[in-house]
Amino acid sequence: MKFAVTALSGGRARAGVLHLGSSSGSCPNPIETPALLLSTRKGLPNFISPDLLPSLPSPDSHLLQFSPLHFLEGPSPKTISSIGGLHQMLGLHEYGLVAVARDSVQSLPECDSTNKIGASFETSSGRRLVKPVEYMEMISSMRPNLWSTLADEVPAWVSDKRNKTSAGGAVFGSIVGGSNVEERQQCAQEVAKRNVSGYWIGGFGLGESMDERPPLLNAVTVSHFSLNMEASILPLFDR
Amino acid sequence: MISVYECGRYICMEQNEEQQRVERRREAATRAVEMRREAAASSKGDEDEQWWGSRREKMMTDIRPSLTVSGREIDFGVMALRFEVLGRFNRARAAQLTLPHFVCQTPLFMPVGTQGTIKGLTTNQLEEIGCQIILGNTYHLALRPTSELIDELGGLHKFMNWPRALLTDSGGFQMVVLILDRVSWTNLSAVEVSLLHLADITEKGVTFQSPVDGKPMLLTPEESIQIQNRIGADIIMALDDVVKTTITGPRIEEAMHRTLRWIDRCIAAHKRPREQNLFGIVQGGLDPVLRDICVKGLVDRNLPGYAIGGLAGGEDKDSFWRVVAQCTAALPEDKPRYVMGVGYPLDIVVCSALGADMYDCVYPTRTARFGTALVPEGVLKLKHQAMADDTRPIDPTCACMVCKNYTRAYIHCLVTKDAMGSQLLSYHNLYYMMQLSRNLHSSIVEGRFPEFVCSFLQKMFPKGDVPEWVCNAMDVAGIDISSCCAPFPSSKD
Repeated sequence: MKFAVTALSGGRARAGVLHLGSSSGSCPNPIETPALLLSTRKGLPNFISPDLLPSLPSPDSHLLQFSPLHFLEGPSPKTISSIGGLHQMLGLHEYGLVAVARDSVQSLPECDSTNKIGASFETSSGRRLVKPVEYMEMISSMRPNLWSTLADEVPAWVSDKRNKTSAGGAVFGSIVGGSNVEERQQCAQEVAKRNVSGYWIGGFGLGESMDERPPLLNAVTVSHFSLNMEASILPLFDR
Repeated sequence: MISVYECGRYICMEQNEEQQRVERRREAATRAVEMRREAAASSKGDEDEQWWGSRREKMMTDIRPSLTVSGREIDFGVMALRFEVLGRFNRARAAQLTLPHFVCQTPLFMPVGTQGTIKGLTTNQLEEIGCQIILGNTYHLALRPTSELIDELGGLHKFMNWPRALLTDSGGFQMVVLILDRVSWTNLSAVEVSLLHLADITEKGVTFQSPVDGKPMLLTPEESIQIQNRIGADIIMALDDVVKTTITGPRIEEAMHRTLRWIDRCIAAHKRPREQNLFGIVQGGLDPVLRDICVKGLVDRNLPGYAIGGLAGGEDKDSFWRVVAQCTAALPEDKPRYVMGVGYPLDIVVCSALGADMYDCVYPTRTARFGTALVPEGVLKLKHQAMADDTRPIDPTCACMVCKNYTRAYIHCLVTKDAMGSQLLSYHNLYYMMQLSRNLHSSIVEGRFPEFVCSFLQKMFPKGDVPEWVCNAMDVAGIDISSCCAPFPSSKD
């Protein structure tokens, strides 16, 4: 993954270009940012089969967000691996796939049940505790262009796991911390120390008010990241 | 042209009824001519209409030469289609059917787009798949959005953005079936019983309970045609008296005669014979004598095309194909023949061998929504656990978008849970039906129809256990299928 800022607003806004072009040849075209991620269900945008996808504006619609947790009931990581990864399974070679465990519809984080063993999600197959090792197995089999680390209030342990894998694709460190500005800042500082390609700023869309968001985002984006890193603020961009 | 009235075939009709009918026809003819003059005088100049108009105009010029018979104004037998047989093999034929909105190749399968849409597929996809005619259900469209609104919006083609051909049914059958569906989806005998109670068929028309407020409503032949004239499909169907083939006795005979009486009311009510083709429907249950009277009666009306109705309703397969064989043999060579409600690939192959041209059924799309794919070997149930880690496409020999892109494993995780499962399977199943239609057409044109039938049967019955009814039908059709039948065919049906 390559990300370059092409223009700055004088304020904090920036325009950039994201090159995902991976070794597998998926998503060959650069994507301009700010970019919207299309939400998907089991990897395909709702009701839009791949033959219809080109009728959406291009290349703006070439970035798809998916949740590996949609495949908890199958196909198994082994089967997905033998198919050749998610791009192959979905027939979407021209598209960039971004893995985020949480979506806002079918895979909601369930913080009360999340513990040191794994993160808990409310899914269509009930409440599921997902261990980092399981998550990484899914990521390895799916081979997304970008993937965010499994997130919780304490994301540091995920980054350790991440370093042990060779999943491929660019890793985005997850920034959480709920509605607490100090927690957010601390989390951002910790994640920024790690060798990640970008940041996923999560923990939004869970009951905070719209007024609370700007200071929380400000706390995270102010100075912790180098200029050339991509920040993806999912609950704002995937709606 | 209307020499039928001298033939004295209407043994069951009284003389004065007969005269009244002739009167009514003459009136209708005058009305129809007036209507056309009015329409020509007040043609609209709206931009959208221009596109559709020019498209229609082009198609109609293609058709017209066959319509002008020695420069005379024809009031009956006027049609908006041309049917040219391109090739034959014994009774089977491949033809080009030119309709106001599309030039079709037969044999052809028509998917059912009940409410102006094939569930889960866009009209672009349907063109991509190769659909030529889509069937719309008059009953549903008349209830919502209503035929008046469709008319106001420029007709069903424009309303659903479908540039190719459309066919609407009369609404009568849907009325009966839909009400029954609410009573019971699965219990067929309950369906038959409730048929009698909920939809009452009298000489006036079909009385049914409104699904909106439960009040009794009446659909007459005139009203059915008026509604269909407003919807504007290329082919419209006469209102017939539908009786299940499994019923026997005087009710079948009554239904057949009533269907014949109603056809005249339909013809008289038809206001757009130069843009829409009214097909008559052969009824008569499983009784060859009744079917024969009905076919002859309809053929005498010189309609643009004919449908074989009242089948695919649970009768045994031997009775089914025999009725088809009898009707196709008696129907004119130069008119399209449509077997209503037939949609199993095997039935379509058999009916095509017997000389039928058009078919419609909800089966391919409905079975897709239930997770079943059509494949040369028969069906593939994607819900089955064995599909969970099967990395092959649905049908490795299929060239459709779904088979080119997706594994059984992926579709297994979608079916019956996510809308995309229905969408992808409907796409594949319709592609399969269209490919079957194309194969039937080209094999007949290229003189290799028996080879095609044999290879079709070989894939579906690799052990050679071709059902006896298929062997019997192919025998009558003059298609030698001995190469794909086991030496000692089982006597099972």
